[in-house]
Amino acid sequence: MAVKLAHKPAEAGVDWEALVARRDALRLRKNALLTTLLVFTLLAVITYKGASTISWEFLTTPPREGMSAGGIGPMIRGSLLLMLGTFLLATPLGIFGGVCLAEYGDRSRIRRFMHASVAALAGTPPIVYGLFGLAIFVLKFQFGVSLLAGWCTLTLFSLPVIVLTTEAALKTVPEGIINGGLALGLSRWQTLWRLALPYAMPGIMTGVILSLGRAAGEAMPVLFTASIYYASTFPALSWESLRQPVANLPYYLAEGYRQPGVVPEHLIWGACLTLIVLVLLLNVGAIVIRTRARRRYL
Amino acid sequence: MIAAMTPTTTKTVIQTVDLSVAYNGKLALKAVNAQFYENTVTALIGPSGCGKSTLLRALNRLNDRIPDAVTQGKVLIDGKDIYARGVNLTRLRREVGMVFQKPNPFPMSIFENVALGPRLHYGLRGRALEEIVEDALRKAALWDEVKDDLKKKSGLALSGGQQQRLCLARMLAVQPRILLMDEPCSALNPISTQEIEELIVELGKQYTVIVVTHNLQQAARISQYTGFLM
Ligand SMILES: Nc1ncnc2c1ncn2[C@@H]1O[C@H](COP(=O)(O)OP(=O)(O)O)[C@@H](O)[C@H]1O
Ligand SMILES: [Mg+2]
Repeated sequence: MAVKLAHKPAEAGVDWEALVARRDALRLRKNALLTTLLVFTLLAVITYKGASTISWEFLTTPPREGMSAGGIGPMIRGSLLLMLGTFLLATPLGIFGGVCLAEYGDRSRIRRFMHASVAALAGTPPIVYGLFGLAIFVLKFQFGVSLLAGWCTLTLFSLPVIVLTTEAALKTVPEGIINGGLALGLSRWQTLWRLALPYAMPGIMTGVILSLGRAAGEAMPVLFTASIYYASTFPALSWESLRQPVANLPYYLAEGYRQPGVVPEHLIWGACLTLIVLVLLLNVGAIVIRTRARRRYL
Repeated sequence: MIAAMTPTTTKTVIQTVDLSVAYNGKLALKAVNAQFYENTVTALIGPSGCGKSTLLRALNRLNDRIPDAVTQGKVLIDGKDIYARGVNLTRLRREVGMVFQKPNPFPMSIFENVALGPRLHYGLRGRALEEIVEDALRKAALWDEVKDDLKKKSGLALSGGQQQRLCLARMLAVQPRILLMDEPCSALNPISTQEIEELIVELGKQYTVIVVTHNLQQAARISQYTGFLM
């Protein structure tokens, strides 16, 4: 069919190419619309089901009566703790990796190979990271199922995206700025540190936050490495906490849903909404950073 | 007084010896032998693509950045070959400043644009740094226009001509002796062009200046010597 059409245009006097382009554009718009609708329906349903559960008490108190009542305070705290540590570990490592990819061995085969590997890692399913974390951090390094092992696993999980966004952001730094710095006698390192990185920082931070948002919502990396399900208290935080598992939102959802009849449905919906809002807040943060930075650089 | 009346010296500061540059094996600059004199403005003229920018970038070794570029021959500054082994690129580029065809201020305040070099190179802080920034901006005839929001206004918020003068100030602040300018007026309107030309004449009294231009009248207006490349 397509072949026939390709031969027709001249004689028929119809601009088939334009028609095909129009059809594709329409399809694309239709798909975009459908996707948006789907997302909004999802959000609407979760908000509708979960909103009535949300209260200060729900957000700040631990579960009671064998998980069948009370709040999700420890899960929220656990998720925030996991995020914080992952942020602190993954940001410098990821930026370092991105800098190495962007700066060293331009065009070399090694660089291309590294880039492809990182891109492949970015597409690796979360469960693989979970199992890797179990094998290496939990068992080999004997961190046990713990906050520490969770940080390490989530850091690995977030790294590829941060590395790739850093590399891409550094590529957007105008040549004029780099040449300007070098012509002033700045070393390659100073040019990178004083000029290129600040210029690329909004893009890098956007990548960091988006990748954290992804990590915040995944149950699989923390499944075997950091999670407990039954958390009826707020254990005080100390250095010991590093070696102890934490409750967290995605795992609570996964397990709570898997064991029907224990956690009542409205609590699940409430936790679901909480997690979505958390991730949304991270994304909004990324957008705010980007727009403010754009304004700063005019 | 006597010094002021003495004509410009003809001490050679830069001499190129059979300088050739090739990109991907294709010669862009073929065995150039040229001399540039102290406290003198030399204009370089030639058709587009004849290697004017390549020659300038060979003088501060900015071509080193281009992986395809291969340089042969010598560039002697005060008799020393800058392509010799062990030459410190930072030192060289501090001596040999450069402004580009398209003004390229850094995305930071006017003050920071000028202060970055002296701060990193000479560790200057506070009062000393502010003085050197003011001095550089005055030499670039920009001080009066920007002194009120030096630290608040972004370098990018300036007009094209002001941006180019900011780049001049940024270069002067690291105390170079040699100034390379690659068609510094080609992106500017006639009024800004005239301002920059007057500046070049002024700077030529204290610096060894090499200006690329494609405009013969401009070369005549600003330079004591003119080199033709073809
Ligand atoms: N980075 C580069 N890579 C490959 N070829 C280049 C590069 N820069 C310049 N050239 C080539 O070298 C020649 C001289 O360029 P250039 O020095 O920019 O000339 P001009 O400044 O006189 O217009 C041109 O043919 C140009 O295509
Ligand atoms: Mg040129």
